[in-house]
Amino acid sequence: MSVTLTGIVKRFGNFTAVDGVDLAIGNGEFAALLGPSGSGKTTLLRIIAGLEFPEAGKVTIAGADADSQKAGERRIGLVFQHYALFRHMSVFENVAFGLRVKARSVRPNGREIAERVDRLLRLVQLEHLAKRYPSQLSGGQRQRVALARALAIEPSLLLLDEPFGALDAKVRKELRRWLRRLHDEMGLTSLFVTHDQEEALELADRVVVMNKGRIEQVGSPEEIYNRPATAFVFDFIGNANRFEGQIAGGRLILAGQPVDACIQGRGDGPVQVFVRPHHVALVAAGTAGSLPGRVLHRLPSGSVHRLEIEAQGLVEPVAVEIPASRALPEGFAPGAAVGLTLTEVTVFPVAKPSI
Amino acid sequence: MTLTLSLSLRRKPSVIPGFGLTLGCTVLYLSLVVLIPLTGLLLRPVELGWHGFWRVVLDGRVLAALSLSFGGSLLAAAINAVLGGIVAWVLVRYDFPGRRLVDALVDLPFALPTAVAGIALAAVYAPNGWIGALLLPLGIKVAFTRLGVLVALTFIGLPFVVRTLEPVLQDLDAEYEEAAATLGASRWQSFIRVVLPEILPALLTGTALAFARAVGEYGSAIFIAGNMPMSSEIAPLLIVIKLEEFDYAGASAIGVAMLGASFLLLLAINLLQRWQVARSEG
Amino acid sequence: MKGSMSDRRAVGEQAWVRRLLVSLALGYLGLFLVLPLASVYVEALAKGIAPFLAAIVDPDALAAIRLTLLVAAIAVPCNAVFGLCASWAVAKFDFPGKSLLVTLIDLPFSVSPVVSGLVYVLLFGAHGWFGPWLQAHHIKIIFGIAGIVLATIFVTFPFVARELIPLMQQQGREEEEAAILLGASGRQTFWRVTLPNAKWGLLYGVLLCNARAMGEFGAVSVVSGHIRGLTLTMPLHVELLYNEYDFVGAFSVASLLSLLALVTLTLKSLLEWRFRSDEQAGAA
Repeated sequence: MSVTLTGIVKRFGNFTAVDGVDLAIGNGEFAALLGPSGSGKTTLLRIIAGLEFPEAGKVTIAGADADSQKAGERRIGLVFQHYALFRHMSVFENVAFGLRVKARSVRPNGREIAERVDRLLRLVQLEHLAKRYPSQLSGGQRQRVALARALAIEPSLLLLDEPFGALDAKVRKELRRWLRRLHDEMGLTSLFVTHDQEEALELADRVVVMNKGRIEQVGSPEEIYNRPATAFVFDFIGNANRFEGQIAGGRLILAGQPVDACIQGRGDGPVQVFVRPHHVALVAAGTAGSLPGRVLHRLPSGSVHRLEIEAQGLVEPVAVEIPASRALPEGFAPGAAVGLTLTEVTVFPVAKPSI
Repeated sequence: MTLTLSLSLRRKPSVIPGFGLTLGCTVLYLSLVVLIPLTGLLLRPVELGWHGFWRVVLDGRVLAALSLSFGGSLLAAAINAVLGGIVAWVLVRYDFPGRRLVDALVDLPFALPTAVAGIALAAVYAPNGWIGALLLPLGIKVAFTRLGVLVALTFIGLPFVVRTLEPVLQDLDAEYEEAAATLGASRWQSFIRVVLPEILPALLTGTALAFARAVGEYGSAIFIAGNMPMSSEIAPLLIVIKLEEFDYAGASAIGVAMLGASFLLLLAINLLQRWQVARSEG
Repeated sequence: MKGSMSDRRAVGEQAWVRRLLVSLALGYLGLFLVLPLASVYVEALAKGIAPFLAAIVDPDALAAIRLTLLVAAIAVPCNAVFGLCASWAVAKFDFPGKSLLVTLIDLPFSVSPVVSGLVYVLLFGAHGWFGPWLQAHHIKIIFGIAGIVLATIFVTFPFVARELIPLMQQQGREEEEAAILLGASGRQTFWRVTLPNAKWGLLYGVLLCNARAMGEFGAVSVVSGHIRGLTLTMPLHVELLYNEYDFVGAFSVASLLSLLALVTLTLKSLLEWRFRSDEQAGAA
């Protein structure tokens, strides 16, 4: 089921949580709303679910204007951040809830409800816990109950608010892959909110990056990572080195030196320069065209070597990542002088100061 | 200024002084003012013997008074449960002009002397009173009947349900009702299936407290009650009458019966409160 | 988001339901609280200001006022000191039987006012345990002022302790321990550290204790001799006048008591507000 948002604005008192958002989620998509806290992503989710009403803008669900529909009428499944399982009901009753409260004319009878709940519990692999209560379950199990409960009403759209936020790392990784498989098998349309970019980039077909109530960029994970559209996206996604530079005479000047970079036809003036740590190459000190620097720290960290280089003329140390498969020459010990060359540089105009 | 008692040997020494002194004074004062007098009450009916005790308590007039006090209190507590629950809901969930004032007013039965409440209720519900006059044409007499007792007992228990429910409603996470709404539940279904079970322990605790308070009530009830033996006479009044007749044993028998019931209630309330706390940590 | 709905239209009740509930709530409170309270003043002033004032400055009424104030002036400080003692013992130390002690302190709360008076009659009345001994020594407790004071102390016994104990338990012992380690004596620690921390709880408890002490009826009625101008507190005086069909007189004295109640409620709200803003300031 497709969802279209046009011109959504939502304010809480003086605070503008969503500041003019247009978005379209296609049928069958698995999309992620990604951004820091306060970016408006949860608010947007709640507006789609019908728990908030925007000051301006329209929500269209499956082609129909959703304004007249209240939360329960939109056939949207919502998994809350803290699950919101009904504490006094067993797992079975929680999942059955959406079926039990249907209008008498469309309510399935007891046996049908039991069948459907059992099927869902088997789907989330919790059939052996049907009689337990939420307080007796682990975080991961509660999450799956919340999911089963949302799926019980056969929603056309599944919304998840930071579904894995409260779980520890290993459980998180397992569950998110499992969720993606479920989505594919059941042919759902899903939209989930997260501040964890790794999660968003790994799972989603499309990522919506949000900041301060606005959409910064919408695109596939590959696009978001490799072709960030704004400085915020570059900084937020993946690791980034950020420097202040200048474009003068059609060339990028960094730390007083001209640097080879594609400046994409930008005009002269101050710019923000972004370089990913793995796009910085270390060469022998004094090599032509390189920036002089000195090694500060060196950390072997799993699959990469991480180094911090203090570079002449740059305020912040430069983070450099070199794959562990490449042995580091002796000369790159802490304190050694090295040269830095930037193999790929992205440049954005300096954001105008807001008044 | 530490007084070491033998008690302190069982307890690991503390940096803070004054244990012996404060505990000693506390226990002494407690014994003198509360424990010894109450023991005196419990021992008094002994002179009646077991059979004598039951003869007093099961006497027709006494039984009628006890059933009015307990039955009326139960009914009053039930009324307070429903209407007090509504008051708590309205005060926590809605905003309207004068809400703060209303909130403070709920405590009036705590602060108002019972005699004042008594004569005021009698005045309002008497046949020529503001409400009494309205009900007279309908054939309903409130003052000087059992109905009057009910009104007084409802008054006295009013704040208990409201004050016990308010913090629980305040702390109730909106997410539960939101989840129920997204799952298609109507507002009523959401209330009955999701909210009510959550607030049930607190509701029952408040009702039990209101009940306990109303059972022993005297001042606010005797003015509006008819005080007719066997019909509108409350148990505390019967105790007073027996005292005036110098029937100490009889009076204390009734007193012990009421005390016994109060203690059972206290136990139930304690258990309910523990259930409430356990639930909220679940 | 706790308590209030994020967007009422989304999840809350419909408008008509809300209006109905508010009407029910206000109607209930109006019927049981506002009307009786208002009637006190209306009845007191039914025949004009002059009879109202006359009733208040009547010598027996003044005697009742004096007795009420006297009883409160004795009972409240006694129970306040006790409350401080008990909360110090319970909050600053661990010992076996602590929860039993707290339950026992709460006992008078669950005892009917009449029974509260009864226990003292059984002790000190003519046929009481100590009755004969007291009569022989011409000491009058029951039917005298001492009895009234005792009964009032019993009834208001837990008020201050109930406020202070949870408060001081919540505040813990660390500040006191720090003070002792810095060389303060027990007394200094109490005055400089504990008391300032507990002041709102203490004031609150004293306020409630006082309201109950001045307004107690059942217990005092049992032990008092109902001697006009001598052993009548204000609530008993109200009863006397009412039974003599002097309604204006009764309601006039009652109006003073309800004024006391309203002042108590106002101060209560004020203290609650001060306490909460103190807490928030401390947490910030």
